[in-house]
Amino acid sequence: MPDPLNARIKTMIVQTLRLEDVDPTSIRDEDPLIGSGLAIDSIDALELVVVLEKEYGIKIKSSEESMQALSSVSALVAFIRARADPARLPPL
Amino acid sequence: MDSCPIRLAACGCITALGDAAQTHAALLRGERALEPKAVYGDEGGDPVPLALMPGRSLDETRPPSWMPYIRRLMSACPPGPWGGRRHPVFVTSSNFGVGNLYAFRRKGGLSHLDTGTPQACVAFIRRELGWGENITIASHACVSANIGLVLATRQVESGIADQALVFSFDFLSPFVAGGFHALKILNSEYPAPYQARETGSIGLGDGAAYAVLRKEGQGWIIAGQTLHNDMHHFTAFPPDGAGFAACIEPLVRLAGGRRIWIKGHGTGTLDAGRLEAEAFQRAFPTSPLVGWKGSLGHTLGSNGLVELAVAVEALRTGCIPGTVGSAAPAFSQNVALGPVNDPSFDGVLCASNAFGGAHAALLLCHA
Repeated sequence: MPDPLNARIKTMIVQTLRLEDVDPTSIRDEDPLIGSGLAIDSIDALELVVVLEKEYGIKIKSSEESMQALSSVSALVAFIRARADPARLPPL
Repeated sequence: MDSCPIRLAACGCITALGDAAQTHAALLRGERALEPKAVYGDEGGDPVPLALMPGRSLDETRPPSWMPYIRRLMSACPPGPWGGRRHPVFVTSSNFGVGNLYAFRRKGGLSHLDTGTPQACVAFIRRELGWGENITIASHACVSANIGLVLATRQVESGIADQALVFSFDFLSPFVAGGFHALKILNSEYPAPYQARETGSIGLGDGAAYAVLRKEGQGWIIAGQTLHNDMHHFTAFPPDGAGFAACIEPLVRLAGGRRIWIKGHGTGTLDAGRLEAEAFQRAFPTSPLVGWKGSLGHTLGSNGLVELAVAVEALRTGCIPGTVGSAAPAFSQNVALGPVNDPSFDGVLCASNAFGGAHAALLLCHA
């Protein structure tokens, strides 16, 4: 069964970055988020990081760590699962 | 690019380690001025590496806490009718009095606004130092001082001015530290410029400096200056390093057969550090590259002038401080981690870079 956080993250990406022409379900789990068809750049990445930190109470310490976390939806979901308070997350 | 026979008749700086001579000596000893400080000052936050002037707090005061340091710095500046018709002053900064503006917004106190805007801040300094009204204010992120040097050079070169004073100052505040922290490039780690490691971080430092430019007389020769913008992205350079190469290339020709060393920008971020080190390796394969922000922190818009004053001390003494705070492996072979003692160098190339794709460089040579 797919992790429900996965769909939530895709929706968050679309809403945060105002990707009006993108259907969240069209974002593939393993596609690179930065430098991909979504055209996310470092400023967009920072916006995502701010939202993620607020939403899930996690701390991303460096630009390298944020690039690693944002390498794909799957990587981001794993990162949040590993760092966030489980009470803030949808159950698996 | 400007190519000109303009002389750097005098220069000086003040950093957390002292004046130019004291800073140079401390760097040679490998001292690090950076210390962990709460990123939001008295409001706390993560500890980040900051190099504040001794006794100065990150939280701004009224009158501004930086003015005594500026007064001390400028007491060593050659006297002149600065700000007079033929003696223009070029004031540069990337912060100006934003610490006071931030303090006003957080805590109130109308007198913070006396230095809360660039214009008000420079007017305050002008009154304090007794300058005339022939003052040009320039700001372009972390190449601000370099732009001041180019503007001053042009006025002296064209004969509009007999001599020109370039003055730059940047003092930290929770506003600017918090901004770099939010960008995730000011972390709890100390910066290690040009070191190949997994996580990069910059440090930030207080700094101010001056330079007097003239056509005649004694002094070092400014053999050339370049400014370039790669027009790639707000916060990133082109991945092939083309902007670094384009900025350096004209100075390769001007350096000719001279034996020079390089004072790089080297903030401690990984991508920019690698691109810069590799660009210098290609353009000046036998010139040692050093960076000092691992000790002094990044003095932001003033770094080009602060580090130029320290570089002049290194040229004068033949003792070049190494890349303090960094260890092997470096991004490229040209990076000098330790000091280089060699009085036979003919000159130094000083480089600075900035957000927005800006690159600047200056070649300074023996007269």
